[in-house]
Amino acid sequence: MKNNRFVYFVLLPIFILLAVFFVLPIVGGFAISFFDYNPLRAINHFIGFENFGKLISDKIFLKSTVNTLVFVGITVTLNIFITLVLAQLISMLPWAKFRAFFRVVFFMPCVAPLIASSVVWGGLYATKYGLINNMLKNLFGIAPVNWLGTASHVMPAIIIFTLWADIGYNIILFSAGMDGIPPDFYEAAEIDGAGMIKKFFYITLPLLGRTVSFVVAMTIISHFQMFAQFQVLAKLGGPENSGNVLTYYIYKTAFQTKDMGYASAIAVVLFILIMIVTVIQQRLNRVEWGY
Amino acid sequence: MGNSSKKYYKWYIIITIILMVFALMIIAPYIWMMLTSFKSTREVLYNPGKVMPIKWTLSGYITVLTKSPFFSWFKNSVIVSVAVTAAVIFTSTITGYVFSKYRFKGKNILFWLVLSTMMVPSQITMIPRFLIINQVGLYNSLQALIIPALVSGFGIYLCRQFCDDIPDSLCEAAKLDGAGDFRIYASIIMPQLRPCIAALAIFTFLDIWNDYLNPLIMLSSLKSMTLPLALTYFSDAHSTDISAVMAASALIMLPVTILLLCFQKQFIKGVTISGMK
Repeated sequence: MKNNRFVYFVLLPIFILLAVFFVLPIVGGFAISFFDYNPLRAINHFIGFENFGKLISDKIFLKSTVNTLVFVGITVTLNIFITLVLAQLISMLPWAKFRAFFRVVFFMPCVAPLIASSVVWGGLYATKYGLINNMLKNLFGIAPVNWLGTASHVMPAIIIFTLWADIGYNIILFSAGMDGIPPDFYEAAEIDGAGMIKKFFYITLPLLGRTVSFVVAMTIISHFQMFAQFQVLAKLGGPENSGNVLTYYIYKTAFQTKDMGYASAIAVVLFILIMIVTVIQQRLNRVEWGY
Repeated sequence: MGNSSKKYYKWYIIITIILMVFALMIIAPYIWMMLTSFKSTREVLYNPGKVMPIKWTLSGYITVLTKSPFFSWFKNSVIVSVAVTAAVIFTSTITGYVFSKYRFKGKNILFWLVLSTMMVPSQITMIPRFLIINQVGLYNSLQALIIPALVSGFGIYLCRQFCDDIPDSLCEAAKLDGAGDFRIYASIIMPQLRPCIAALAIFTFLDIWNDYLNPLIMLSSLKSMTLPLALTYFSDAHSTDISAVMAASALIMLPVTILLLCFQKQFIKGVTISGMK
């Protein structure tokens, strides 16, 4: 259809909003990274690549980058492994009510505010009264562990929390993919004598290729941007910055130190990391997966 | 399946038990939160080994409701979430309709622009967005959360995909019958988009209800906070009162959890719709 007046009448307000709150901030975000920018000062100087130069010798930045990569790498690997297995187990059940029940239970943490579940897990991890130390003591006689106060324990604690909080989405996405696989494939494999594990590796996984590559990329991208649990469970970056990640460091630098130029430079680094994942995913998407 | 399901019966039981163990690990934090919220803090600290409350008490909830502006926080959260969800449904459906059914100059570039807003992490945009909000005088107001969220790139993208599935002939027939452009949108497009609108509504509402980063940088006064941000302030201010902190967490987590349990099918369908389109 054609009706330019109607089209512009609709699109004008929409694109004004997009321009002010998305396009301008994107351009601004890159631009500010080239300034020594403090919102409290009247004049802010252009300093070229100085902010980026500073990154190389900033120990906290390097540590946050390593922490971010470790967090994303380990959490996403475990997440994909666990969700594939659980989705497969759920879809093997012959009772629709049971399948629906498990999907909803695993999805429950996904709807809760991450900040609230982080606060609850802060209680679970508490040294004195926390559920986790209590269970370790009663079941295995292990002495109380200071999970969130020990440099080596903070990251594992946050990874376990994040798995709990986020596996529901991928279980549902993988389940939907598995439901789409025609049952004759499995029946044929059964006649050939394939067991459950063989069926998973030779039928489910290859046929799910496109879904898996998409889900992996989306999970990596969302985990790069996680923030709330770090602020709650790794207070002020955690002991020796062991729980400091790029998102938290950006927030702290921008809104507490008020060094917004430098914070934007760190944000650009985070953006580049995310873009790399996006590009790889789009390349993989061109591969012919399929039946 | 008749024969094979008998053969596998033993396996089904084992699988169910394994899934039950995992399900218990998912639910345990909720149970612990609820039980702790009904204990006194004294009991939490001095009787950590006991799972059930020795003496059930509402003191945690009373602290939350009387020593903090909890109802203002709740009201703020409702206002922002409802306003944004309603606006996003309208802006996304009508823009998706225009991109799907109309020919105009610059369409591809504009749509590419919509898509590109989805690719950029909020860490890049949050600093300039804060400066803009500050500049126009909306800092520390609920509008600071509402106005930037009125348009959603993802929503437009999703609605366009769904509009593409509606046959053009339907719109053209209505046009011949004398229906105007807006009329076609309201009486032909909207009813067809129902599943898409349900998914979009659920996830927009959740996103905004659970949002923490935007309120954190846009709001400063206690009274204007939304629930997630307020919870961090409350739990810092009452960090020694564990029972009250768990009561506050429960009050924030329960509404969305109940919503999920009431609309299970729509939620699950919504995830697959928005994840797969």
